[in-house]
Amino acid sequence: MNKELHDLAGWSVKTALSSGADNCRVGISGERFVQMSYRERKPENIKEASTRELVVEIFAKGRYSAQSTSDLRRNALTDFIAKAVATTGLLAEDPYRALPDPKYYEGRADVDLKIIDPDYPQLTAGDRHDSVKTIEEACLTEGGEKIITVTAMAQDTHEERVVLTSNGFEGYANGTSYWAGARVTAQDEGDRRPAGYNFVASVARRKMPSPGEIGAVAARRTLSLLGAKKLKTETLPIIVENRNVPTLLGALLEAMSGWNIHQKRSFLADKKGQKVASEHLTLIDDPLLVGGLGSRLFDGDGFAAKKRVMIESGVLKDFYVDWYYSRKLDCEPTTGGSSNLIIPPGKRSVAEIMKDLGRGIYITGFIGGNSNSTTGDASIGIFGHLFEDGKPTQAVAEMNIADNQLKFWPRLIEVANDPWVYSSRRTPSLVFADVVVAGV
Amino acid sequence: MESMSRRCFLKTSAVAVTAAIAASFPRSLFGLGSTDASGYFEREFGITDALCRRVLAEALSKGGDYADLYFEHTIGNWVLLEDGQVNRAYCDVALGVGIRTVKGDQVGYGFTQELAEKSMLNAASTAASIADSGPRQLREEFKELKLKDYYPLETLLTIVPLESKLPLVQSVNDRCFASSPHVVKVNAGFHDQQKRVLILTSDGSKVEDLQPRNYLYASVVAEKDGRRESAWWNLGGRRDFSFYTDAVVEEVAETSVQRAVTLFDAIQPPAGEMPVVLGPGVTGVLLHEAIGHGMEADFNRKKMSTYSTMIGKKVAEPFVTIIDDGTIPGQLGSINVDDEGTPSERTVLVQDGILTSYMHDNISAKHYNVASTGNGRRESYQHFVQPRMRNTYMLPGPATPDDVIRSVDRGIYVQDVSNGEVRIGEGDFAFYVSQGRMIENGKLGAPIKDINIMGNGPKMLQNVIMVANDMELAKSGAGSCGKGGQSIPASFGQPTILVKSMTVGGVKG
Repeated sequence: MNKELHDLAGWSVKTALSSGADNCRVGISGERFVQMSYRERKPENIKEASTRELVVEIFAKGRYSAQSTSDLRRNALTDFIAKAVATTGLLAEDPYRALPDPKYYEGRADVDLKIIDPDYPQLTAGDRHDSVKTIEEACLTEGGEKIITVTAMAQDTHEERVVLTSNGFEGYANGTSYWAGARVTAQDEGDRRPAGYNFVASVARRKMPSPGEIGAVAARRTLSLLGAKKLKTETLPIIVENRNVPTLLGALLEAMSGWNIHQKRSFLADKKGQKVASEHLTLIDDPLLVGGLGSRLFDGDGFAAKKRVMIESGVLKDFYVDWYYSRKLDCEPTTGGSSNLIIPPGKRSVAEIMKDLGRGIYITGFIGGNSNSTTGDASIGIFGHLFEDGKPTQAVAEMNIADNQLKFWPRLIEVANDPWVYSSRRTPSLVFADVVVAGV
Repeated sequence: MESMSRRCFLKTSAVAVTAAIAASFPRSLFGLGSTDASGYFEREFGITDALCRRVLAEALSKGGDYADLYFEHTIGNWVLLEDGQVNRAYCDVALGVGIRTVKGDQVGYGFTQELAEKSMLNAASTAASIADSGPRQLREEFKELKLKDYYPLETLLTIVPLESKLPLVQSVNDRCFASSPHVVKVNAGFHDQQKRVLILTSDGSKVEDLQPRNYLYASVVAEKDGRRESAWWNLGGRRDFSFYTDAVVEEVAETSVQRAVTLFDAIQPPAGEMPVVLGPGVTGVLLHEAIGHGMEADFNRKKMSTYSTMIGKKVAEPFVTIIDDGTIPGQLGSINVDDEGTPSERTVLVQDGILTSYMHDNISAKHYNVASTGNGRRESYQHFVQPRMRNTYMLPGPATPDDVIRSVDRGIYVQDVSNGEVRIGEGDFAFYVSQGRMIENGKLGAPIKDINIMGNGPKMLQNVIMVANDMELAKSGAGSCGKGGQSIPASFGQPTILVKSMTVGGVKG
């Protein structure tokens, strides 16, 4: 526990109560990070800073407001909190606003989530420079003369947060994270200059791929985009690359939120217990995953974190409902937002699946697009590769897929064996049948 | 560089999920009573020229071409309505200084939220680490720039009483429900922000600005025969509170409701290539995304943009002229001064079909040996400067809107788009059509919805074959442009135009 943050949070709770709040929640977060990028074999940007922010949520006379500030001088905070309380009193009453029943705070897991990298304190400026330089060099070497420009980047962060409430909740979270990668531009035919990338993240430096591998993969991904064509509109099977699956999942997650359900903006609102996808889709929310980028012991309401199966064999099992919307919806709360999302992997590799399918589109990126959470109608741009006879034969771009979510997910026919581990979304590649891929 | 911060998970959900709304503050709080930008940071935080000279000297202690300081104090307020009541308010206060040292095209950057000399010197020392030679001397004294004011205020919105803002939001809600029996849910809100900045450079310039931003919005869900549709609308910009008249309330409510109700009759058109007519005003976001970003000078300096070899060359038909303008009064993308201290201007990007200029910050201006165009912008004191757009639009052409629509046998008419994204190097883009219509035999037909349009920015610009005389600027106060992990207010506009062919991502082959 960071005593300085804890003391300031405690003082803020007292100040809010003495200013007239009936209850309050105070969170103070602190972060220290270093960012670095290299281009043309020299540092392009170096940035380093520490930040702090205080958030106070006021519950007063059945009313609610939330205020945040980075000005943590105590005299400024005294005014800030007093005015926050006064302002809250001017709003309309909301009978659903209250701090959670403390019973939901109980049962916090007593586990080490291992989200602090023990090597973090030893990280030096020299280590950072060496790592980013190596990413750039490996990318240039792998990419050869087709490469126009490479920007290699990395960031390391240490964050901590204290949360206190006036009804007895105390929480402390503390974690490290690393992020590294490269953006690459290559020369294609004519004026086209395709840009590719490779970015990875982890809570521990030693769990990251080597800088050389990060750079080489960035180059290979970029070169694979050369010669992209727009194909004729056709109905084909598609394989969505593991790291791009979260874009698809986002449409489901949005419709699973308590706010969307209560505000009649969810196409899934009446689908709990029903099949919304094929039996191949199981989706697990696991905040207690050891070493996960989304791991946590408590959520935003202070609820003790629990592993939950959100979708099981295609059946929608649960929604993301925080304390406030559970009261409005008159249901049991779950949690207000996702943590680590896991789709259990299948048995076959993408290469094996491609061979089996023969012809289709392997999607390695999305562009633009949207999914309407109210109706489930979606349309999104894609790029990637046409595969024929089980092997990639042609890069594709400027194409599009469109469907309704409730028609699209039932066409999931297989889950590959390659979960993407460098994110809080641990998703394998997914295979869908009979998708209209629009082009010429 | 995008941040992979896990801050979201660490924040409490109530504040992390909603862009924290805000209460309004009385005049005494934060000393925000004056609409005059000058002298604010010295009065409120003791930021003197002498102190700034010491910090700049530290930033240049290891050499470098120049350094600058960017002080910021921003207060953002939101009042929100849900289920018929204005029952939540949020406020966010940001205070800090960003310190930058520039050496060629290399940048060292540090920032601190504590405006104490020791903290600032530490941040300056971080910025200085980009250079590695002897100290560089500063100019003797600062010369304060006087700016034209493109967003004059009678009253700061942060001191307008909350009691004056609440009825606006309540009225929007009430009018939405009165407008159609199909309306089942309304979310409405009012946002105002006051951003005060002080910029000092090692070249001796000093400038202060006060940048307001505000908007009133409604988001509506309508239901008919068991089917639901949703839509939203907002009006705002860098406005005085007097902008928010009864007529504005009416337009916000009526437009959002009509947009939702229209969708009950909407179809998804067939997929494939077809002519696309872009209506006036908000469809200018396509011009912004698909073409404008490629003309930002950093992408060209790094040879990432398809426009990097096109200065002086034909990129469009002779009736196409494209402007980026920071000087339009009250418009969301207007700035009196950019975030490097360069006064705003009107920059001609494409003149009669010829690419004439990129949008420059100081680094790219030096690279190309031209003057900065005043496009150096950043999200906050925590962020690097990048060349960014302000208000980007196409000038009107010779045709009428009816001429344009009549010329299309079969295609689509796009009224509004969202969720646009462009791949700078290829120029490929995709946009989601939130409002539009089919065009059949030169006439507007059934509404369309939930489709993408895709294309290639440079090709699209070459394929603009008609431009009408009805140029409109978007009236939104909520528009944000994202680039490199930074979000800034920007606006756009255009007349009705015809693009010869684009890919429409409908549902059937």
